[in-house]
Amino acid sequence: MYSSLVRLQNTFGFFTTVIFVVAALIASTDFITPRAPVVSTLKTNSVQVVRGRPHYYSSKKEEYAVIKFSLEADLSSLFTWNTKQVFVYVTAEWPHTPSAIAAGNVTENQAVIWDQIITAPSSDHLANLGPAAMKKLRKSAAGKSIDPSRGKLIIKNQKPKYQITHPSSKIAETDNVVLKLHYNVQPWVGLLTWNQETDFFKWKKLKNGLSKKFALPAIKTKKTEGQKGSSK
Amino acid sequence: MFSSIGNPRQAAAQLMNFGLILSTAFMMWKGLSIITDSPSPIVVVLSGSMEPAFQRGDLLLLWNRNIQAETSVGEVVVYNVKDKDIPIVHRIVRKFGTGPNAKLLTKGDNNLSDDTELYAKGQDFLVRKDIIGSVVGFIPYVGYITIMLSEHPWLKTVMLGIMGLMVVLQRE
Amino acid sequence: MAVSQERITVYNLADLKNTSDDAIPNYLNSLKFTQSHRLTDVRLSLGFSAFTLAAACFLWDYKFGFESTKLYTGVAVTIYTLLNGLLTYWIFYVEKGTIYEGTAPSGEKIKISTSTPKKTVPEYHLSIEIEPPKKAKGGKKESFVIIRPFTEWFDAAGHFVVAPFQGMLAQSISVVGKADPKRAAPPAGAVDQPPVYSPEMLAALADAQVSVVGSAAETATTGSDAAKKAAAKRRKA
Repeated sequence: MYSSLVRLQNTFGFFTTVIFVVAALIASTDFITPRAPVVSTLKTNSVQVVRGRPHYYSSKKEEYAVIKFSLEADLSSLFTWNTKQVFVYVTAEWPHTPSAIAAGNVTENQAVIWDQIITAPSSDHLANLGPAAMKKLRKSAAGKSIDPSRGKLIIKNQKPKYQITHPSSKIAETDNVVLKLHYNVQPWVGLLTWNQETDFFKWKKLKNGLSKKFALPAIKTKKTEGQKGSSK
Repeated sequence: MFSSIGNPRQAAAQLMNFGLILSTAFMMWKGLSIITDSPSPIVVVLSGSMEPAFQRGDLLLLWNRNIQAETSVGEVVVYNVKDKDIPIVHRIVRKFGTGPNAKLLTKGDNNLSDDTELYAKGQDFLVRKDIIGSVVGFIPYVGYITIMLSEHPWLKTVMLGIMGLMVVLQRE
Repeated sequence: MAVSQERITVYNLADLKNTSDDAIPNYLNSLKFTQSHRLTDVRLSLGFSAFTLAAACFLWDYKFGFESTKLYTGVAVTIYTLLNGLLTYWIFYVEKGTIYEGTAPSGEKIKISTSTPKKTVPEYHLSIEIEPPKKAKGGKKESFVIIRPFTEWFDAAGHFVVAPFQGMLAQSISVVGKADPKRAAPPAGAVDQPPVYSPEMLAALADAQVSVVGSAAETATTGSDAAKKAAAKRRKA
């Protein structure tokens, strides 16, 4: 029993316990760090609806909307020592069925039109970037382990990364569409968290995360074929 | 270990202790399954399609109940494609409709295109019941051992050998 | 059967305790005590029913999948938790380290529980409860504690030496002494005194060609070397 193997086993067991306790402590520090994310601008710049193939692999022509938008937000309080990355995304949300339209249920349909991975300096090396961009990224936070300035977003007249569609292939002339900013904080260890609708202890809800309601216009007729293959 | 075979009660007690270690581990796993309502409440990341958030070998804790709100866009979910056994961890990027038949589209953060091509033939969207859980917790690296074991089968042999050796050595 | 064939690591308190624990039922049963297995049997049935439940749960989960058996699995997990809780309760609050429960040939009920409360001190703590036979009126329940160093009945090489161990029991516990007057030769009640070996015991030890490293003989002697040689011989054989 009291052999080297048992000692090795005990040491390993103790080691794992310590690791897990330390990990749990690190994860719990998230809750004592205040968060106060604010959006100052979230608006559309131009909205178009086109009939065509939204993806290179689309099998049929359908209506899709291209929404250009501007965004200014301060998410710097989300960056702590346990933050690995913040995933920021903007969704378009709209009601489609008559009952949802009547009830004003905006969240019936949700589609991400733009997203961005913001790595913390501690995880820059993991980012999927080319060598030049990587060098620039690492230089931007040289000597820092936490860089809250990365949470300050100023984006103007941004082209959407994803064109939005609907399974019915109909999206033109939809009313009551809103854009909404979301974020997802990915920790090094612990719980994943998203933007909240209500305050939660030291974490404030995301202020101003919704744009004004807008309508999608009728189909723009010209240039339908020109869109082919222009997006991924 | 079984030095007291002569006494049937003592042998039975030793057998019981050994059995209870196994069964308690299994029942804890099942209990977690029941609480989270997920057949597999802890999964190991196998691909890099969610990098840099999740890397191969990271451990994810899942939750599969909709107490406050429906599973919706932005959540990272683990789903099974019809007739394929490998669960996939990706983010929901589109949701059309509400309720159990809402149409869901997923995409890996690190992938250029969405998952339409990963789905089964004729399947354009997922529905709620394809999902076995949403990621709520994250523990890095811990799952790498299972990846190593499945990728290098000889490691299993080595580990079994060491365990066997330990049993033999402990009899002294 | 003066010296055990097996050798244990003398630095391992659990080994010292387990070996001593195993020797008590053997000794008392050889004195025609009737052992009651009530505590063990309850523990075994609790444990094995929990295990069987888990095995059944494993089978239906494997055969029918998670979704369709959720309800049963939930119930099984609850019952398993209860059974395991009961088992833990039984071990810690009912058995409380009891290693022997039985009736002496003279009718007294005896219960022995043992422990080694100090991790770094190799002392054997025995709590003994003796209940007089029911027909004897006016008899009082008696309970007392014996604390002895393991060195009294383990030699330096880790062999268990039977004679001093049985002597310790026979001298300290009246009921045992009554059943085994030979071992109980020195007057009982010498609980807190260093052990005294009877001539018979010493003769028995001499026969066995082993020395006893007791509290009276802490230092290793040539005798223990002899024991090692004897042990080596046995291992070769």
